[in-house]
Amino acid sequence: MSRPIPLHVVEDDSSSYYVSERKVYPREVSGRFNRFRVAAVIWLLGMFYVFPWLHWNGRQAVLLDLPARKFHVFGWMFLPQDFLFLSTLLIIAALALFFFTALAGRLFCGYACPQTVWTEVSLWIERWCEGDRNKRMKLDAGPWTREKILRKGSRHLLWALFALWTGFTFVGFFSPIADLAGRTPFDWGGWETFWILFYGFATWGNAGFLRQQVCKYMCPYARFQSAMFDRNTLIIAYDPMRGEPRGARKRGLASVLARTRGLLDKLAAYDYVFRASRHPSAADNRAQAGGTIALAGTGIVAEPLPRFLPEQLGDCIDCTICVQVCPTGIDIRNGLQYECIACGACIDACNGVMDKLGYPQGLIRYATQNQIDGKATRVLRPRIVIYGCLLLVLVGGWMYGVTHRSPLIAEVLRDRNAMYSQDTDGRIENSYTLKLVNKDQQVHHFVIDVIAPDMPGTSLRNGPRTVQADSGEVLSVPITVSASPEVTGRHDVKFSVRGVDVDAAIDVKSSFFGPMP
Amino acid sequence: MAARAIKPPEQKPAPAWLQCAGAILWPSFFVAGVVTMVFFAYVDPVALRDITFPSLKLGRELGYSLGFFLIWLATLSSSLFTWILLRPGRSARCGSSLTSKAP
Repeated sequence: MSRPIPLHVVEDDSSSYYVSERKVYPREVSGRFNRFRVAAVIWLLGMFYVFPWLHWNGRQAVLLDLPARKFHVFGWMFLPQDFLFLSTLLIIAALALFFFTALAGRLFCGYACPQTVWTEVSLWIERWCEGDRNKRMKLDAGPWTREKILRKGSRHLLWALFALWTGFTFVGFFSPIADLAGRTPFDWGGWETFWILFYGFATWGNAGFLRQQVCKYMCPYARFQSAMFDRNTLIIAYDPMRGEPRGARKRGLASVLARTRGLLDKLAAYDYVFRASRHPSAADNRAQAGGTIALAGTGIVAEPLPRFLPEQLGDCIDCTICVQVCPTGIDIRNGLQYECIACGACIDACNGVMDKLGYPQGLIRYATQNQIDGKATRVLRPRIVIYGCLLLVLVGGWMYGVTHRSPLIAEVLRDRNAMYSQDTDGRIENSYTLKLVNKDQQVHHFVIDVIAPDMPGTSLRNGPRTVQADSGEVLSVPITVSASPEVTGRHDVKFSVRGVDVDAAIDVKSSFFGPMP
Repeated sequence: MAARAIKPPEQKPAPAWLQCAGAILWPSFFVAGVVTMVFFAYVDPVALRDITFPSLKLGRELGYSLGFFLIWLATLSSSLFTWILLRPGRSARCGSSLTSKAP
């Protein structure tokens, strides 16, 4: 009974959660979606590298001044008290991600994610130094010659410079960049140096080496994206009804769309895809597609495909260029896979091949699963409507809140040491500290007064007070309220703070205490 | 088309300890970043210094960085602890020599 159960870990090492990663050598691609991505890269990285150098009203346009706890974003200044706006903005960003994912898949991943954008630039550098896919693979497989050392060395040098510049720009958002540039590199502060190197190192590692592994293993979004997908979500899809059975052919065979064969029925097409994935052709083997899709349950055996006559073939010529261009190294013909970052490179590649063959474009295209399966697509689904409405409300509220922010915050603290005191005339006095924050970019003057409706004759000791507050300054103003000697018990008072040279007014409630009756 | 015959060269997989280190370091770093942001949005490091170690000359930059690394240390320990708890038992890892002599 007490005999231990024999145990053994099935996997040979502890890395069972991760497949061993091959290096992916994405082939260069040109086409509409690639142009779109290049435009996105230029625009987004342009914003990142240029914004800290812009000036606005004589100061750096975007400066997140952590040491002074003030964030300058163009004409606006945000203080820690405005944290609500930042958190709302993050909620809006998350909701926008849900909305666009449900609507059109991983648009963010393919075009706007910093990981994609910086990886794209590191790939440009790699191509520029080492050539396209085949040259790079040859170089990696070959011995260490003078040329290999030169090419690899120049790539690493450019990567390092690019990473350092990125780290420098990043720190330039927090520390005035012109000043930082003037102190390059020996007068940088310790923490500035540290963060420049840290961010540079992260860029170098993520964009240069980890690449698609960040998307597959590190990114939380990739792990839960499937919760937002349904059959009406726009995805990058291969049309197996048109493409299968795949195979090389002689020139001159027309597209299935122009032949009597026409589109296959769904069951046959998906069966061909499944069998081709289990019995890859020589070309497929060379392309070495990764990916984790399970096209059928365990134990189901796939029969090899027969040899098809030319007129039976679909439009896919099995050139595997769609696999070669994929930055995550998957075969899109196996269907939607969680590795797919929806960059559209396979669409561009396949369209190019279709053009060469004289076939209509769109064997791989942006489509919904319903569309591919010949059903109607519904764009307006409950989740789209709900996400959309929430997004509209939040964006509207945020815009209103940011544009209608009061330039003034005021709080009152009662003096804790004494409930009340009496001056030489017997008047009852209470002391307070008024905390006043000027959130505007300019200097302003404010008038402080007290209002006590049920205590006639109450005023500040020396009459209404005018104070000056610099931009972003937090003032502590000690004030004393003086009431007539007959006042007893607790009374409500209100402090009114009015802007002299700015339209701002705040009333702060507090209490006034006299002797017990 | 002959150039297409090239196959990507074989590569050694990353060692298991590296993958483990990544799985422990990365989530703790991510959470520490978020926590640091929220914490220091409400707490001024200088005010924090004044109520804890007023005699130390800590500036805000040092305060933020120190705070981040302390929080990372905490989340890192938690990740590391989870890893220790989730490891298979010694007998399973090493193949239990006493019990595996079953017929």
